[in-house]
Amino acid sequence: MGRFFKDFKRFFNYIVYSSKAELKSEVADSFLSWLWWFLDPLLYMMVYSFIALVVFNSKVPYFPVFVFLGLNTWQFFNKTLKASVKLVQGKKMIVTKVYVPKYMFVFEKMGVYGFKMVVSNLLVVITMIGYHVPLTWRVVWVIPITLVLVVVTFGISTIVMHFGVFVEDLLNVITVVLQMGFYLSGIFYSIESIGTVVKGRVPEPYGTLLVKINPMALLITDLRRVLLYQQSPHWVMLIIWFFVGLLLSFIGTKIIYKYENSYVKVI
Amino acid sequence: MSDATEYAISVSDVKIRYRVFKKISLLKTLLAPHKYKKTELFEAVKGVTFNVPKGQILGIVGKNGSGKSTLLKAIAGIFSPDEGTIDLHGHSVSLLSIGVGFQNKLSGRENIYLSGMLLGFNKEQIDEKLEEIIEFSELGDFIDRPVKTYSSGMYSKLAFSITAILETEIMLIDEVLSVGDAKFKKKSYEKMRSLITNTDRTVVIVSHSSETLQKLCDTILWLHEGEVKMQGTCEEVLPLYEEFMS
Repeated sequence: MGRFFKDFKRFFNYIVYSSKAELKSEVADSFLSWLWWFLDPLLYMMVYSFIALVVFNSKVPYFPVFVFLGLNTWQFFNKTLKASVKLVQGKKMIVTKVYVPKYMFVFEKMGVYGFKMVVSNLLVVITMIGYHVPLTWRVVWVIPITLVLVVVTFGISTIVMHFGVFVEDLLNVITVVLQMGFYLSGIFYSIESIGTVVKGRVPEPYGTLLVKINPMALLITDLRRVLLYQQSPHWVMLIIWFFVGLLLSFIGTKIIYKYENSYVKVI
Repeated sequence: MSDATEYAISVSDVKIRYRVFKKISLLKTLLAPHKYKKTELFEAVKGVTFNVPKGQILGIVGKNGSGKSTLLKAIAGIFSPDEGTIDLHGHSVSLLSIGVGFQNKLSGRENIYLSGMLLGFNKEQIDEKLEEIIEFSELGDFIDRPVKTYSSGMYSKLAFSITAILETEIMLIDEVLSVGDAKFKKKSYEKMRSLITNTDRTVVIVSHSSETLQKLCDTILWLHEGEVKMQGTCEEVLPLYEEFMS
């Protein structure tokens, strides 16, 4: 534990600088590539709007904001996790030359995708203003919800990164699992009913159960509840997932500290 | 040596094994589990013990595959020994090597920061040395261009300059680097010489060239098939090593 904070402090500069560097080198290629940080969620939102509104005849109020919130949150989790699988191999140049606690790479990726999430979320703000969504003091719950998102993402990603070093087809497995997770997190539909305005699409009791056991479904649902529909989040479940996330992070960093020095021998 | 000697590196009974087990595949494990039953062990370093007093220059010799580089990487902390301990007594350490993860799309200047921070320096420390690094690397205006536009010579010059000028208390050198053109080679050799001869700095050099080691080192450690064959001054060890190798 103590070592974690000491190392984190020591490499904090590196995390920030390398996250920035990665974002910068993305933009360096073509000057307007940052536009994609907006265009991506915007275009996907249109696709899901077509599916949900036209094909499934959904009647969710503020549907574009509803989708943006789900999509941006999901992409942060999805991209960080996917990047973690091959992260150590990808950093071979560094790993074989100098000692770095390997979970710093996860922080680096979280920095990159976290920044993109914040940028994409400007779309949320803009569309919320456009729709005149009534705001309550509950919007402050966005902060603890985001914290849970960060902790859960870090925990799962560190563990996945460790196994990604040794298991060569883990990426195939993770891709399928994430695809399933995408459909089970309610990105373009609501899993359970929110107040009286949004109807749940998954029959009870499965809807409630899914929101409890799938952290992404929980986080996305709760973000929508506090930002769009003036409802409180699922407090108990958020606290439980916060501690589960902490536990996973603890296990992940512990495993990495124990085995990271043999990564070089494998890659 | 008396007890009063201050050591910078203490290596005691270090064993390092490579597990010759390849990566596993979930699919293959399910379909053909018998394939992964045996994991061969290969011991690269078989119980090595030595101390390096502060400020000394140790040369490590040995034929290919004798475990020199493995040992050096273990001292650098890149991987840990399977048995035994390596104690650096709290000194900072770096492995002088070519190119610690450059980001090709970024400029040389930005890569100096990136590499420096990886080596554990903070921004202020790098700021302080920045000009010196740029000057030493002889890159001129290229320093603000993306690294991908560099020639291979420029690339290695920059890499050398970063590790050579951001000094650490213990420096590990794997094969005395020969980088760039003849002029830069001479300059980098001189730089390395001045780094090495600084009395506060402890240095471990791995090399095949007896000539270089003779010029630079205080003591020599001869590794043979993962074990210490001999340790002593250059005069004692090098002639015997030469004879053994020929």
